Amino acid sequence: MKTKLVAFTLLASISAFASFAQDAADPFADVVETRHGLMLQMASDLGTLGGMAKGTAAYDQAAATQAASNIAAIASVLSMAQFPAGSETGAAADSYALADIWTKQDDFLSKITDLNNAAGMMKMAAATDANAIKGSMAQLGGACSACHKSYRQPES
Amino acid sequence: MVGFLTKVAGVGLIGLAGFWVISAPALPSMAVYDGLTGDAKAGEPVFWAAGCASCHAAPDAEKDAQLVLQGGQAFPSAFGTFIAPNITPDPVQGIGGWSLPEFAMAVTQGVGRNGEHLYPALPYAAYNKMAPQDVANLWAFIQTLPASATPSQPHQVGFPFNIRRSLGVWKRMFVKNDWVVQGDLTPEQSRGRYIAEALAHCGECHSPRNALGGIKRDQWLAGAPNPDGKGRVPNITPAKLSWSEDDIVEYLTSGFTPEYDSVGGHMVHVVENMARLPESDRRAVAAYLKLVAPQQN
Repeated sequence: MKTKLVAFTLLASISAFASFAQDAADPFADVVETRHGLMLQMASDLGTLGGMAKGTAAYDQAAATQAASNIAAIASVLSMAQFPAGSETGAAADSYALADIWTKQDDFLSKITDLNNAAGMMKMAAATDANAIKGSMAQLGGACSACHKSYRQPES
Repeated sequence: MVGFLTKVAGVGLIGLAGFWVISAPALPSMAVYDGLTGDAKAGEPVFWAAGCASCHAAPDAEKDAQLVLQGGQAFPSAFGTFIAPNITPDPVQGIGGWSLPEFAMAVTQGVGRNGEHLYPALPYAAYNKMAPQDVANLWAFIQTLPASATPSQPHQVGFPFNIRRSLGVWKRMFVKNDWVVQGDLTPEQSRGRYIAEALAHCGECHSPRNALGGIKRDQWLAGAPNPDGKGRVPNITPAKLSWSEDDIVEYLTSGFTPEYDSVGGHMVHVVENMARLPESDRRAVAAYLKLVAPQQN
């Protein structure tokens, strides 16, 4: 029992040190993970709305409103705070961000503003009906892709 | 010895003469355009479906700036870098002084106003299937767009690809007038084929090419290396694109994949263009994609 405990403690401290060492080696690991987490949560909420827009799920005002509110909240969080200079692809592990983010920062921020506006429209649509959601998806998707076109390295 | 050299020279001359004949721009009659009048309003959806602005707008142009077709975007390829020219109505730097038959000759046959071959960065291998009335409508619409006096820049193409005459041979080998997807099609599938194969020129990026840059029509839409060197343009035949028609329509409307990732790269332009068409056209493209022969690679 005691041996097991020692082994466990040892293992825990090794892995704690390993992650500490990793953070030390890659100062952007946390922001990159944060960015991906925000995008994944947005995708999950978009899935809720998209199902209703496509008609694969029944319109549910409460669920739609919750999803749209989440998207608006995530959009409002996005700022330069998650995009510190130097955290671009090639420099930071798992990053797909392009360095143009910092050379064209005003444009990058204006695209975040566009996303916030589109998310606001989606909140109104979500409270209306499935057809309104469908109409609002194009604007919201346009805001996503406008930024990804300029500032995200394509995966494949 | 002299006789041998004469023979070699003779064969060489015959070869050259042959090259001169088969490389000459083949000039089909544009007489069909004499009786046509374009409708600019009807030309707008043709303009978006054909993706003109995506290549001819200035680099990084967005929103209304995309309607100024001043050129300047660079398209790298294995044969050199092509720079999209100014096709605004400016009479000097653009194509304002052109006639409808001259425009049709360039767009559908890849032959410029001075009888020269145009490089196939202009996808005339697709546009050659456009309905003449659509070409006339497109011409009418393009003439309503803002003029720009920005000069076109020369292509950065080295020897031997800078010999435009050689494009005559290339065209004879690789430019086909018939549809890739054949058979009995419903009106919707047929509309989708027209948009995908004639206007939106999907095959230009999504189909692999041979060593000479000709599209491998037997591997239509099977995916290809990205010409700008980053990754691959995906296989969108039914073997690899498992999305439902509804999923495809959603992607072409909002840019969202079924996992709610968003479209990236040059395809963003395509989605922006497709989103401007009636939903029935996006449905038609989805129906067409289900008809394409599956390719495993």
